[in-house]
Amino acid sequence: MATNPMHQFQVHRIGPEIKIVGIDLSFTNASLFMLISAVAICGVLFLGTKEKKIIPDKFQLISELFYNFIAKMINDTAGSKAKPYFPFIFSLFMFVLFCNMLGMLPYSFTVTSHIIVTLIMAIFIFIAVTVIGFLKHGFGYLKLFVPSGVPIILLPLITVIEIISYLSRPVSLSVRLFANMMAGHTMLKVFGGFVISLGMLGGWLPLGFSVALTGLEILVAFLQAYVFAILTCIYLNDALNLQH
Amino acid sequence: MENSNNFKTRLKIAKDKLKKHSNYQYNNENGTFMGSAFKLGTELVSAVAVGTIIGFILDSWFDTKPWLMIFFFFLGSAAGILNVIKVAKSMQEKD
Repeated sequence: MATNPMHQFQVHRIGPEIKIVGIDLSFTNASLFMLISAVAICGVLFLGTKEKKIIPDKFQLISELFYNFIAKMINDTAGSKAKPYFPFIFSLFMFVLFCNMLGMLPYSFTVTSHIIVTLIMAIFIFIAVTVIGFLKHGFGYLKLFVPSGVPIILLPLITVIEIISYLSRPVSLSVRLFANMMAGHTMLKVFGGFVISLGMLGGWLPLGFSVALTGLEILVAFLQAYVFAILTCIYLNDALNLQH
Repeated sequence: MENSNNFKTRLKIAKDKLKKHSNYQYNNENGTFMGSAFKLGTELVSAVAVGTIIGFILDSWFDTKPWLMIFFFFLGSAAGILNVIKVAKSMQEKD
């Protein structure tokens, strides 16, 4: 069982089974790792903001680094109008980043390698951005689907295409994160299995690959959290500053 | 007085250094080719999938299997290409 590369993605129950109105609400390993990452984020940020030193210690440095990074990203992609949404994007980025990074530890569980987790986050972002767009521009937000300078005959076709393109946003956002995390972890496990089955003689090559892939996976874990946050900013930018 | 002036110039030099460094870092992160390649791929595929699913749902509503699904598959492909063009344009603006 341990050599099955998909075994690491299995969700199993921890503790007693809890059922409320026919819905299974038991505590699983997925919920455990979500809780761990939430606690870790709170811990790091609490330690970082506890005392404001002129010469920062490690925790203060890393929390200031995260803050500046996200503030700059929001300012660059969505402009100053997006300032009120900083807390949301910051927590989103930190949660995805910590889930991805905790998944890199041996024997841990990667929450973001399940499409249900990423899809729920993406659908929430999609609905929130649509609601913000309609609140800011009223029915003028529908102009997003009608590009300017299109001949009247083509307009119905182009509008349908634009609507499909808009609806595909949550799908591409969630599939990208989920597929990256799952593919990477499966690959790591497969190469790990090669090391065992080839033994002392031939196992060194896959072992080297595993080491290189681990480095790559850490890069991907950071990059995907960054892409998730920056795409949220881009969608927010569309809703706040209507350009089309 | 001399002391505070000295501090000011030192602060300015340090801030300039920091600025240069942070700009460099930011550009570096945008230039990861694997990330952008994967991004383009998912944009294309997800629009086709969404289009086909919309067609499938409309088909079961209006009982016109399989014509709307085929029609919306092509619309979805067009939307996918539109997505890719949009992303590629925004990538070029950044560089």
